Amino acid sequence: MAIVTISRGSYSMGKKVAQKVAENLGFDLISQALLYETSDRFRIPHKQLQKAIHDAPGIFEQHQHTKKMFLAYIRSTLVEMVSKGNIVYHGLAGHFLLNHLPHVFKVRITASMENRVAVKIKEGLSEPQAKIKILEDDDHRKKWTRSIYQADPNDGMLYDLVIGIDKFSIDDAVELICQGALKKSFESTPECIRLSQDFLLACKLKAALVENFPDVGVICEYGNLLVYATTKEAHANKFKDVLGYFQRENKGIHNLEVHDMMTMPDQAV
Amino acid sequence: MEQLTPDMIWVLVMIALAIFLFVVEWVRVDVVAILMMVCLPLLGLVTPKEAFVGLSSNAVVSIIAVIIIGAGLDKTGMINKLVKPVLLIAGKSTSRIIVAISFTVAVISSFMQNIGAAALFLPAIQRISKVQKIPLSRLLMPVGFSAILGGTITLVGCSPLILLNDLLLPFNLEPFGLFDVTPIGLVLVTSGILCFTFLGRFILPQGEPLENVANENTCSMDAPGEREIDENCFFELTTTSDFTHYRDTVNVGDLKNRYLVHTVALTEPPEFKTLSPSKTTEIRSGVDLVVWGAKCDVERMVKSEGMSLKPTIECYAGEFEEANSGIIEAVIAPRSQYIGRTLGENIFNDRFHITALAIHRQGEVFRAKLDDIVLHTGDVVVFYGTWKRLESLHKEGGLLFSLPSDLEDMRPEKSIWAGSWLIISLVMIMGFHIQLSVALMTGALGMILTKVLSIDEAYDSVDWRTIFLLAGLIPLGIATQKTGTAAWIAQSILAVIGDVSPIVLLTAIGILSTLFTLVISNVGATVLLVPLVVNMAIAAHTDPRMAALVVGLATSNSFVLPTHQVNALYMGPGRYRTIDFIKAGSLISILFLVVMISMIYLFYGV
Repeated sequence: MAIVTISRGSYSMGKKVAQKVAENLGFDLISQALLYETSDRFRIPHKQLQKAIHDAPGIFEQHQHTKKMFLAYIRSTLVEMVSKGNIVYHGLAGHFLLNHLPHVFKVRITASMENRVAVKIKEGLSEPQAKIKILEDDDHRKKWTRSIYQADPNDGMLYDLVIGIDKFSIDDAVELICQGALKKSFESTPECIRLSQDFLLACKLKAALVENFPDVGVICEYGNLLVYATTKEAHANKFKDVLGYFQRENKGIHNLEVHDMMTMPDQAV
Repeated sequence: MEQLTPDMIWVLVMIALAIFLFVVEWVRVDVVAILMMVCLPLLGLVTPKEAFVGLSSNAVVSIIAVIIIGAGLDKTGMINKLVKPVLLIAGKSTSRIIVAISFTVAVISSFMQNIGAAALFLPAIQRISKVQKIPLSRLLMPVGFSAILGGTITLVGCSPLILLNDLLLPFNLEPFGLFDVTPIGLVLVTSGILCFTFLGRFILPQGEPLENVANENTCSMDAPGEREIDENCFFELTTTSDFTHYRDTVNVGDLKNRYLVHTVALTEPPEFKTLSPSKTTEIRSGVDLVVWGAKCDVERMVKSEGMSLKPTIECYAGEFEEANSGIIEAVIAPRSQYIGRTLGENIFNDRFHITALAIHRQGEVFRAKLDDIVLHTGDVVVFYGTWKRLESLHKEGGLLFSLPSDLEDMRPEKSIWAGSWLIISLVMIMGFHIQLSVALMTGALGMILTKVLSIDEAYDSVDWRTIFLLAGLIPLGIATQKTGTAAWIAQSILAVIGDVSPIVLLTAIGILSTLFTLVISNVGATVLLVPLVVNMAIAAHTDPRMAALVVGLATSNSFVLPTHQVNALYMGPGRYRTIDFIKAGSLISILFLVVMISMIYLFYGV
């Protein structure tokens, strides 16, 4: 029932590793399917979602809610897709998007610049071109992570396992990850299942609210949903309508409250 | 028209800054006033003496004295005693009760701060709502509005009117007497009460009567359907003999977080009964416990945790008798020590051994994560506890609620002294024409000398926020007048609107003051508008005293939004939403303007 997220720098063999890990463990692999699924569910063009999860917000996007909205949609879809467990997620920000789940095994694959350039050269680019392309890519990811999560993607503290692929073969890396994934810490206990269900409810409600109320925060504990909003938001008819509809359409909600005039806790989505 | 001088520009900047800060509320209104008090002399717009003249002004001394006199009347329980005869006269009819209480509150409010009168009556009104089974929402708004309207009956009824004579001084205009505004105030109060009597059913939320105490909240599992599935009540449960086996420790706090169910009584082995156990208390095997929560949540808990639900309260029947313990709704009072701190930080459970069950705010009920909720004026906290423990909480102050046994630290034997000093003050003002501040301070001093209040209690009762708000804004009024800014703005406005009749001008001033008081404090609005409208009235050949009076009265016309302190206080207990104030308040605001202008036209012959 484990969930493995594999994050990697561009051209660091992460894709191959993820495929093999999924194959060895008999898990489902989620990668591009996430964006297609989100695109279908929320009727947002795939390209826009791709941009939201890849590009850092530009100067004119800083105060727009589009990126926040798309991320809430992507997160809601991903949490639902992984809720069954036995999943390898290979893509951007998995470790952030699923950071509320204790049984997620977060892996980072890194490679030296020389090896990454070599991969790119094989695709037909010159060495300087390859280097520029890779640095550009890294820069985008760094900016994205900083702007959305105020973190550096290269910070080892964000992961349970960091593998420098240069001195390992792909199979070695796969073996290491598979061993880790089967450790007790990543087993899906009843408590983990409960946390997943709560997290899914919180993410779904956030996705339902984010278009019109991008700054609200949602937490869920034991099926008790708590929305943190401003007084103005809390008393808006549209806000109440969304909450009412959400409560009717979703099972497992025992209580739904809106708290205004309060500091939003860090764990709110 | 006069040219704008650099000093006038600075005054305009300071006015804009004050209004901006009043609206955005980055700092408290009294801090804005102190900022003005400090900045104006630094900019050379007023002399240092003028900057602090507010602290020794007639208005500030009067308001200190009015607050002390009000506290004295409160301490003797005189006002609470008024409720009984008022209710006897009113009988059981809802409209007669509303008329009787509203009128009494209005009269009391005419001699003490509006918020003080409103807070004083809240427990009594809650009690009336319970006993007479009248929804609190139908009583509180008319009473709250009457408290505000009552402030217009005398010149000491509200801060803007107390301030008025001081603001007229620079213009050498004749000051108003204590009862000069009484005819207008009385008609305003009467029309407001009549409006609620005849149109109350259309403009007031209907609501539900307050729940009764203790044992009426005890649910019987044998009588399904008697109560709604989501209605909160008490249930007695037993844990199984293997409750603590093969699982993590379950404590009182866990049940609250998981099921929103509060454990209000718990047996600790072998036979030790604890009421209102702390959240860290462990729930052991084979023990009895009483919980308070919604039936659906309790049933869910029983199923998930493997407990068994008893048909009635058995082991704790004695403890849960009405005479021993119960539930009260406590309202966070203005200036309460609990304001700005979370329920958890206030550690009610640790200090008083009582259990906070829910918080009501603006029509919403909060049950989850109560400990994290920051308390505000007017929030209603629902507590369970023994009456003795709840009395300890009551004595601590800061919360408004009524108990079945009234054991407050009152001094009823001093009632005659308190009443006498109030009358002496009034006689000095009316009979001997002694200055308002001197006469009122005599009354306040008399209360201290005759031990109605101790000097420390008198100091504690003074709301220093109001004092500094008044004192700090007075120099802004002086600067506006002294630099010619008020005259310049008045001329600019008159140049735009042209020649208008006095009644139209006064109506426009009334509307302007009403709008100002909705966004900035009533004192701020008065200080800014009085110099302006006096200049406008002089230029338009209208009576400038009447223009100032319109401002003084219309700054009490604050009913449309729950921004007035009285409305904020009553919002929680009445379960009102902003829309309720907009609905009823709009009508009362229009009525206020019409009555006020008509009365000025008829009574003062403008």
